[in-house]
Amino acid sequence: MRQQYAIRSLIIISGFVLIGLAVIIQIVRIQNSEQAMIFLSQGDRYSGEFQMFYPERGEIYDRNGHLLAGNRTVYEVGVSLGEVENPDSMAYILGTYLGLTYEEVYNKLTGSPESWEYVVIQDYVGTETVEALKDLIQQLSDAEDPRLNGLAFKPHLQRSYPEKDLASNVLGFVTRDGRGYFGIEEKYNDLLAGNPVQIWIPRDPNKASEIPRVPNGTTLVLTLNRDLQAKVESILEKALSDYGAQNGTILVMDPRNGEVLAMAATPRMDLNNYSNYFSLYDNGSQYNRAIGMAYEPGSVLKVLTMAAALDTGTVRPDTTFIDTGSIEVGGITIQNWNRDSWGQQNMIGCLQHSLNVCLAWISSEMGVQSFYGYMDRFGLGHATGIDLAGEAIGRLKVPGDGDWYPVDLGTNAFGQGVSVTPLQMLMSVSAIANDGKMVTPHVLYAMLRDGHQYNVPSQYAGSPISAETARTLNEMLAISLEQESSLALLPGYRLAGKTGTAQIPTDYGYDSTHTNVSFVGWGPVDDPQFMVYIWLQTPTTSIWSSETAAPVFSQVAEQAVILLNIPPDIVRNQLTSK
Amino acid sequence: MQGQATQIIHAYKQAPWRVQRQWIAAFLLVVIGGAMIAALYLDVTARAAVAGREIQELRLEITTIQRENADLETRLADLTSTEVMQQRAIERGYRPVRPGELDYVAVPGFAKPEPDILLAAEDTTPHVETHPAEYTQSLLEWFDEQIKSGGAR
Repeated sequence: MRQQYAIRSLIIISGFVLIGLAVIIQIVRIQNSEQAMIFLSQGDRYSGEFQMFYPERGEIYDRNGHLLAGNRTVYEVGVSLGEVENPDSMAYILGTYLGLTYEEVYNKLTGSPESWEYVVIQDYVGTETVEALKDLIQQLSDAEDPRLNGLAFKPHLQRSYPEKDLASNVLGFVTRDGRGYFGIEEKYNDLLAGNPVQIWIPRDPNKASEIPRVPNGTTLVLTLNRDLQAKVESILEKALSDYGAQNGTILVMDPRNGEVLAMAATPRMDLNNYSNYFSLYDNGSQYNRAIGMAYEPGSVLKVLTMAAALDTGTVRPDTTFIDTGSIEVGGITIQNWNRDSWGQQNMIGCLQHSLNVCLAWISSEMGVQSFYGYMDRFGLGHATGIDLAGEAIGRLKVPGDGDWYPVDLGTNAFGQGVSVTPLQMLMSVSAIANDGKMVTPHVLYAMLRDGHQYNVPSQYAGSPISAETARTLNEMLAISLEQESSLALLPGYRLAGKTGTAQIPTDYGYDSTHTNVSFVGWGPVDDPQFMVYIWLQTPTTSIWSSETAAPVFSQVAEQAVILLNIPPDIVRNQLTSK
Repeated sequence: MQGQATQIIHAYKQAPWRVQRQWIAAFLLVVIGGAMIAALYLDVTARAAVAGREIQELRLEITTIQRENADLETRLADLTSTEVMQQRAIERGYRPVRPGELDYVAVPGFAKPEPDILLAAEDTTPHVETHPAEYTQSLLEWFDEQIKSGGAR
């Protein structure tokens, strides 16, 4: 009996063991089956979510720490559809506050696919509107009114420009997709934008981990002086109005290191409303005329011709030239701007009276090889390398080009038949103001990233002329301005400079009624600390640079000496001698 | 007499109720031990989960504060923009200075101060790159790591 009981027990136990083993085998089999892998991967998919973390776009400051481009909080206004109790009222309220139509909001609230839990009503909504909506929600909540149930606000940053249109041509702008266009915003877009990071956020609280730090975009400090920029823009606006000019640009640069202190161009636009771009500009080259538009500069280029001639020894300041009023170069007769003959002149007189005939004679004396070699070394026909997007190169025809003719040697000497940007001219002439060393213009002063400051070093773009030549020409241009009693002069300061009045080339030859007027100048002559380039397009009150661009130079110089703390020459010499 | 006593002790040791009690005691020991480990594990993982969530919340708070900071900085720049400052100056009776009205004084050793933005070029963002494993690791993960590393630190 006892033995039978034991056998039965053994059979039952064996049965249970077998069943247990079968269960275990089945569990293992299911766990490792192909389908199990699919289920596991599906489970993993819902165990968390990838979230993209965008860094804050780097800010842009002027050299004195004034914010030129920052970031402002805006909101995405959305609705959790499951919580909406009264879409009709909500559509009416949101339409009123957000400036949308009732139908627009109502369709989003009721016409969204059923699988959607959340719908965006409007993005980039300002703080004031959101605060008003939040107040309304609070009032409704106090009254237990469910009309705005489900309304949500998600804050994020948007580019903002506190100075509105100040330096807009230099800064460029950022669209809502976060991409920079033109100027600094485009040139340094990658640095400013930083690197977005995608992170897997698990829903399992046990797997909660720290969200890694997403470094902000690099902050940039520019060489611009905000106050000088504002003054220069104001002077430019007034000049356009006073002289009836179509457009214009004014550049101010430190000739010692190439730092651009101000860069004004028209038209400007409020960068917070960049959608106005298409109504203001026909094409991208107009955005910043100082770097994007090449033109025939006229007589300001005589400075380079004279520099080359002095450097080669072709002429000296006291070399005399008998001006007969015309000269033949390449079989074509070249005349002076007033078609007069100016008799015996030295080289200062040639510059002072801006004699085309004299300069054409000089370039002919130098010869093709030497003249174009110097123009090439001065950077004509090459990009300056400025750190702004959209730089034009201009064109210097040289012997061998299909459209170069022997007469070009003569006309190029006084700035005709050659195209340059205002910045190219400024860079070329910097060699004269800076002891023969030409500087590369730049607008980036420093970068700030991860608590470190990286200063941008100045770069020289070569020495096309000797220091002695530069000093000689510097003095000649100062004397020529003084003897001319130019409107460019500024009491108390010795300045050097040259006017340029250029006819405008058209498809049918040169326009006989309109001109481009320019002026390049710098000061103080014994220690140049600022250079100015002015270009006014087609002034109508006078076609001459001496009557339009020259007085504008004086106004800019007046502001420059104040804002850059440059004392009058007498005071400066007294201070330095102490 | 001595043999009888030995038999009684032997019988006592082999008493079924005593053997049964020993088994029960051993079983209870295992159960209590398991329960203690489970409780400890639960406690540690719960703390780790709470700490993890707190860290995430703090991180979000930092992001919010940084965003508000950027916003305030831009608002301040709005209030001190060239246009606004010029307007305020004019309202208070100031006018632009002219070159002849300025006096220059030489101050020995004076150097123009650097702008604030350059002086402030230090990292203000807290960045503890990783938290100690004690704050993020479960007990099982710790055991696993110890076994894999052979107990070596």
